[in-house]
Amino acid sequence: MSIVLQDLVKHFGANSVVDHVSLEIHDGELLVLLGPSGSGKSTILRIIAGLIPADSGRVWLHGRDVTDLPPQQRNTGFVFQNYSLFRHMTVADNIEFGLAARKVPKAQRAAKREELLALVGLGGLGGRYPRQLSGGQQQRVAVARALAFEPSVLLLDEPFGALDVKIRGQLRAALKDIQRKVKITTILVTHDQDEAFELADRIGVINRGKLLEVGPPAALYRSPQHEFVATFLGGANLLAGAVEGGRVNLGAMQLSDAVSYTTVDPEGRLEVLFRPEDLMLATSADELTIPVLGQGVVEEVLFLGTLQRLRLRLQPLPGTWRLPAEFGETGVPIQVTRIPRSDGHLDFQVGQQVWVGINNFHILPRIPIRVLVGTDESANLDTLLNYTVLLARATSGPVSFVAVADDTADAEGLVTHARETLEPQLSGVNFQARVGRFVDEVLGQVNEGGYDLLVVGEPRKPTSRSEGTLRELIRRTRFPTLVVKDEPSAIRRILFCTAGGEPGKRDIIFGGRIARRAGAATTLLYVDPTPGAAARPEPPWIASHLEEGALTLLNQGIQAEVKRRQGVVVEEILKEMREGEYDLLVVGKHLEGRTTRVGTDLTLALLQRSTCPILVVTGELSRFG
Amino acid sequence: MYSAKGFLPKLLIGIVLAYLGVLIFLPIAAIVQGAFSKGIDALLEAFSDPTLWQAFVLSIELAIAAVIVNAIFGTIVAWVLVRQNFFGKGFFNALIDLPFVVSPVITGYMIILLFGRQGWLAPFVNAANVKIAFDVPGMLLVTVFVSLPFVVREVMPVLREIGTEPEQAAHTLGASGWRTFWRVTLPGIRWGLLYGISLTLARALGEFGGVLVAGGAVSGKTETATLFIYRAIEERQNIAAYGVALILAVISFVVLIGMEVLRKRTDLEVGS
Repeated sequence: MSIVLQDLVKHFGANSVVDHVSLEIHDGELLVLLGPSGSGKSTILRIIAGLIPADSGRVWLHGRDVTDLPPQQRNTGFVFQNYSLFRHMTVADNIEFGLAARKVPKAQRAAKREELLALVGLGGLGGRYPRQLSGGQQQRVAVARALAFEPSVLLLDEPFGALDVKIRGQLRAALKDIQRKVKITTILVTHDQDEAFELADRIGVINRGKLLEVGPPAALYRSPQHEFVATFLGGANLLAGAVEGGRVNLGAMQLSDAVSYTTVDPEGRLEVLFRPEDLMLATSADELTIPVLGQGVVEEVLFLGTLQRLRLRLQPLPGTWRLPAEFGETGVPIQVTRIPRSDGHLDFQVGQQVWVGINNFHILPRIPIRVLVGTDESANLDTLLNYTVLLARATSGPVSFVAVADDTADAEGLVTHARETLEPQLSGVNFQARVGRFVDEVLGQVNEGGYDLLVVGEPRKPTSRSEGTLRELIRRTRFPTLVVKDEPSAIRRILFCTAGGEPGKRDIIFGGRIARRAGAATTLLYVDPTPGAAARPEPPWIASHLEEGALTLLNQGIQAEVKRRQGVVVEEILKEMREGEYDLLVVGKHLEGRTTRVGTDLTLALLQRSTCPILVVTGELSRFG
Repeated sequence: MYSAKGFLPKLLIGIVLAYLGVLIFLPIAAIVQGAFSKGIDALLEAFSDPTLWQAFVLSIELAIAAVIVNAIFGTIVAWVLVRQNFFGKGFFNALIDLPFVVSPVITGYMIILLFGRQGWLAPFVNAANVKIAFDVPGMLLVTVFVSLPFVVREVMPVLREIGTEPEQAAHTLGASGWRTFWRVTLPGIRWGLLYGISLTLARALGEFGGVLVAGGAVSGKTETATLFIYRAIEERQNIAAYGVALILAVISFVVLIGMEVLRKRTDLEVGS
């Protein structure tokens, strides 16, 4: 192994810029770290070079543990996006700098320098100054300088970002050529997917500090394992599906016969990926010899030379929806690319009815947690937004934000504020402003959009109206709802409060998903509400429920323990929270009509008195009546 | 830059030229005229006064010393202020400009307060057997202080503009901190540094009130060229005064040309 990264972590303030990244890079390989801006890929590169220290984790270069070594001793060549040539030195002196630092004699330096100038195609230009060269030429000098002292590793940080498209193409080819000739292990960081495809032996996709997937370009394109990778590497159509009895179902449609698909998700949910080129269009269903997806209308046709790109909107497919869900969408939008004439049709027109067939598909086994953040004017927006960033980094799933107010201007204002805070820190957030009643709008969105988690904020100044809104929301929600309180810190310890069988199994699994992604430890707490001194043996099903719950979590690699307390439920929960320093409280929602000692306002009482955020999950009635 | 067309821009240029002319050229013309007003022999006789040359030598010594001290410490201060972060950084940054707002006379007086016979630091001064107040060391302290901000303020923006990346590049190429400083950072800031040094030199040469108070203006001992001119005027030795003023003006002119050349070099390199 040429380069080994082990569990690298780097924080800037409260943000995890590099979140437990581990990676092995082979000898002589050109690995591309691909990801959007702010994903942490440049930071990883600088940690490898020794320019930034990691908070934890180790770096090995060719079998040497270089984690504690300064950059001078790591023997890595680094090429910056802005070239960073020494302006006061000639090209020749720039290239020779690394050799001079190693006290290589003059004659040898000169020979090596000429060799490198020839290698990068700048022969004879040694006497020039950087300011006399074009951008592309300067970057070639930077590469030559980085290679001059024969380092063991070459690191490039978005090296072509500052150049025109045409020059970029030339330099990419040149770099690939040079890398092959010199056979040096190389890591290149970029956000350009085309560049990654062209250069990489393998691509590592990074988002929000996490390394999502690593693999050869073709493998990542055809069979990604992660939704973000699927959508980042090119056009993608993703539909929500489920596996049942060994078959993959897209709503009412079955994709295959009795092939075994297993997913980690116990509900059997998965995502089905169709690349735009995997779909075929026809004017009638009979023309298609392949499985039919559905019928729709052409909304846009783009001419791209040999290809045509079409945007279609299919009629709603029962039981399935497009991922990530967009607001106010009717039907299913689909992207198709085709070569005109190859299917017998020259062109499709806008407004034309078409039938879509599936030529090929790929199953993605994991479904990320899709988060909807809702706010009205009464909530403490900044606290809510800060927690959203924290949560998004833990879930690495799509985030949508909806602001509800009494009139459009106010709602837009909230959206603007949210945009300012969120956009620099998270990419791909969906924003919408809505007018109406908060609870109606927000719950409507959650129902329509296939969200997994609703996040709302606590009112800044609790008034009877805002309290009432929160009550109503909790009462009516049928989805996990997280109420953000106070200042968010991290998600490190999660407390599941069971009082009589809730949260149910599904909810422990859901909370477990968050726990796993956030790397948090969990505790299952059972509070025996009977105040009697006599230690009454707890009902056997409680014990098995707790044990099963803990086991489910442990099977998913989450630290879990079980605790028992006795007393007034709310007080005991609050006591446990304080003593255990928990960051997140998970409680079951008490449905109305239940008659237990606990009472229907347990959830609301906890909401009022808890100091940390509360996730309210809808409880299964399980063994209770 | 568009060429001035029409009456109003031309009038504006005319006013500016007249203003500069009156403020700068007239006095210089007056100095030249005054120096030669009684003929070149009178001038040469005035130059035969040994205290005149002693005053020059002292001025130049103080100026060079101030340049050396401020070049070194100014660069270090600039580097710390740009590259490091620490509590109270903003405050220290503002303090650098203190010499601009404090009258040099007060600075000179502070030297007396600190190092004079009844000064705060008198015991240390006596123990070290050095005379600071009313002697050249005190004048040096004043000169260093009044010319302090120039190197710092000229180097800081250049350091900022260069950024840390060239230094980082040098580190990845195997250069130690020292080598990086000598071969990369210092050459990178050299024009800004030289410009700051020329400003320091000019300011140090022109210092008057502070070195007067701190030194006592004893001719032959603690009298700089500027102080000599003052004494010469008081003693109605006008030719001598004009003569020294003329030499100082010539030196200033040379420094000015140097500054202009350096400024152009800085712009040229920064613009690459």
